[in-house]
Amino acid sequence: MNASPVHASNVAKHFGRVRALDDCSFSLPSGSVTGLVGPNGAGKSTLLSLIAGLARPTSGTVSVHGTPVRGQMHPDVSLLTQKRPLYDQFTVREMMRAGAALNDCWSAARAFEVLDLLAGVDKDARVGNLSAGARTQVAIAFALGRLPKVLLLDEPLSDLDPLARDETLRIVMTEVAERGTTVLLSSHLLTDLGDVCDHLLLLDQGRVQVAGEIDEILGDHRVVVGPAEVSLETDGVVVDSSHTARQTTALVRGGSVPSGWDSTHPDLEALVMGYLRAARTRKLARQ
Amino acid sequence: MSEREHPPVVAENLGKKYSRGWALRDCTLRVPAGRIVALVGPNGAGKSTLMGMITGLIRPTAGRIAVFGDVPNGRGMHPAVAFLTQAKPLYPQFTVAETLHYGRSANPGWDQAYAESLVERARVPFAAKVGTLSGGQRTRVALALALGKRPRLLMLDEPLADLDPLARETVLRTLVEECRTQCITVLLSSHVLAELEGVCDHLVLLTDGRVRLAGDVSELLRAHAGQPGMQRLGELALAYMRAEVAA
Amino acid sequence: MTWIVWRQQRPVLITLAAGLVVAAAAILLLRAGMVSDLQTRNIVDCVRDGTLQACRGEGPRAFQKSWYDLIHFAQLLVIVVPALVGLFIGAPLFAREFEQGTHVLAFTQSVSRTRWMATKFVVAALPALLFVAVLQLLVRSWVNAAGQLGPLAGGPYYFSTFDAQGVSPIAYTLFAYTLGVFVGALFRRTLVAITLTLGVFVVTRGFLSTWRESTIEPVRVLSNELTDPYAGMGPGQVVKNTGFLDAKGAVVTDVNAAQAKCVPNARIEVSVEDRTACWQQNGLARSFREVLPFEQATTVHLLEASIFAGLAVLFVLGSVWAVRRQA
Repeated sequence: MNASPVHASNVAKHFGRVRALDDCSFSLPSGSVTGLVGPNGAGKSTLLSLIAGLARPTSGTVSVHGTPVRGQMHPDVSLLTQKRPLYDQFTVREMMRAGAALNDCWSAARAFEVLDLLAGVDKDARVGNLSAGARTQVAIAFALGRLPKVLLLDEPLSDLDPLARDETLRIVMTEVAERGTTVLLSSHLLTDLGDVCDHLLLLDQGRVQVAGEIDEILGDHRVVVGPAEVSLETDGVVVDSSHTARQTTALVRGGSVPSGWDSTHPDLEALVMGYLRAARTRKLARQ
Repeated sequence: MSEREHPPVVAENLGKKYSRGWALRDCTLRVPAGRIVALVGPNGAGKSTLMGMITGLIRPTAGRIAVFGDVPNGRGMHPAVAFLTQAKPLYPQFTVAETLHYGRSANPGWDQAYAESLVERARVPFAAKVGTLSGGQRTRVALALALGKRPRLLMLDEPLADLDPLARETVLRTLVEECRTQCITVLLSSHVLAELEGVCDHLVLLTDGRVRLAGDVSELLRAHAGQPGMQRLGELALAYMRAEVAA
Repeated sequence: MTWIVWRQQRPVLITLAAGLVVAAAAILLLRAGMVSDLQTRNIVDCVRDGTLQACRGEGPRAFQKSWYDLIHFAQLLVIVVPALVGLFIGAPLFAREFEQGTHVLAFTQSVSRTRWMATKFVVAALPALLFVAVLQLLVRSWVNAAGQLGPLAGGPYYFSTFDAQGVSPIAYTLFAYTLGVFVGALFRRTLVAITLTLGVFVVTRGFLSTWRESTIEPVRVLSNELTDPYAGMGPGQVVKNTGFLDAKGAVVTDVNAAQAKCVPNARIEVSVEDRTACWQQNGLARSFREVLPFEQATTVHLLEASIFAGLAVLFVLGSVWAVRRQA
């Protein structure tokens, strides 16, 4: 049994005829920060909820540190969802007390440490009255009070202004640096991901398209540009190609550079966009 | 000045006070015509208040505001202004065709052919119920609804939230293409500064209810050229939001 | 975990506590006022026995005019509270958590879902049940103080007396509460749950109220006067049926035929004795009424309560299933 922080083996999740996830396999290395990307409906939220034990896989297994996850939250895992659910009527202090009441293993010290970061959160304010940034900070403090070894974040940066986004990422990175927590973070904001992630997990249509260390992946891909009339011949896999009147641009994985074509390595944004475009082309072709 | 020559938005010492304090104060600005204006600032800085006063949904407590030379009143939006919010107020039960029909009946200057062409280009089926569309498709339909009005000022409040990167790119590209070809002034409030960099040529930055920065992007960048970490629009805006720059 | 539910229910608890204080104060004050009014009017004995000579005059009538409606209203309060508990404590219990997404919060901590559900269910129910019990006792003591001058004169089967008596209020509360919890867990939307709970509660209570009296056998009581089956009837009797026996003691089936022969001319007043004699000649020997015996009231209470309790158990099981079913 693979003892990595999160290991998925042929995981599938079907809702009736809809295949939210299909044959996903990957392994997150300890202490890594993995960006989970993909078009809407690719199965990102489904995957996170499977790892958290909120739903059971239709087939395959998800395991955390070697223990299979079966409809129950693993004590080493914490999940923060996009809605950032908290008890709005409670004060921040009462919310932390609730954390202690709901968990066997809870560190009030850690939770309050996170609350005091950056500008600090007013602990006697009602959770429902906090700004989006402060609310996110409370939610993260709540998640980290469990002293998790694996932190799952589902769109944690949505609805945050640039300042709050910046600060939230800083809190997460501090946690990783100090405690070596493994983080799996899904977001649509690729520039932010590029700043913090060292690994990538790209889903499309419920399948894993790309998984691994970002540097390796970027090194393995090329953006090639060539004249429009010449067709692209390569022994690599063409992920996506686009044509204008004068030139053809393609994202290629592996293989050698065709002669006469310009080649550069993509940055994270270009890579992800290339895969997303390819996904959209496939989807439109099917309709 | 004839009506055609009035600038889209002129505000003089504009302010709005609520019981909890001033949401916007001493706001003096002039939005030049034909520009794509980025309206940025932290949450609670007054962006929605400013937009509300331009549409006439909020009445100023102090100062004056004129939209194309007219004072916005509560009776309805200026016919030359279209507003697209994050909530994208479309009725989920309506089909796309019915939504456009609603646009036609609600707006005197409606251009059905143009709106339909926008929907076609987005490859959204006319017979689909709006509630079944993806986020990106819904935004394209909402954009068609706004542009079908043939506005001269288009205001967008966080239109790209919840869209995946590809959808964001496509919507933004459509927006820019349509607005530049028709010289529509765009006022776009968004949190994702990196995206606005290639798109916006004018910036209005609010913090704590006051205007901190307003001007053409190229001029602002030139004015801060010597300072480190402010080479790009996004970095400049972030620095001002952090109030790291002396006033 | 218990603390969390207390804290979440705090607004409800405050409302219940305040409501109970106000209700208790009102009931006790009114009751004291009524008792002194009884003494002033000198009709204290009528509480025990409303058939006394002294109890038919102007005094008792004036008394009832002042107090009857108030006491009746207090009984109705006891009847309405179970529904309110179901609507405003039961229905939102899980529905609100699902609506606001905080169930995800609870499911991603180390507390087990069963413990979470059970604690919420029990801790939210206890104050409500206590409220109902105390209110019931207060109202009962007031009703008893009025005795035969109040709703008790209508007998134990009178709807407001029956529904506010014995195990019934608690049974109705448990039914409404578990119904609300189940509907809330099933539909996961508070407003839908409240509406549905109200509908099902009203229909079920209405149906069982009408049906419950048919579960006991009425007792036949013979009347002393042929022309008046109700002669000699005490207060508060519920008459299910009247009829006539013939000379052999069998029930006369076609009463109209016999009685028609005695009314040759509707305009002529016939004396009671003549009518009696005529009916007797035509085969009607005795008249009777069938009444619900007072002693069976407890049985009816228990029967109805056990049906509601059984439904409550089903709803609890249903709630457990509805909360735990995973997408």
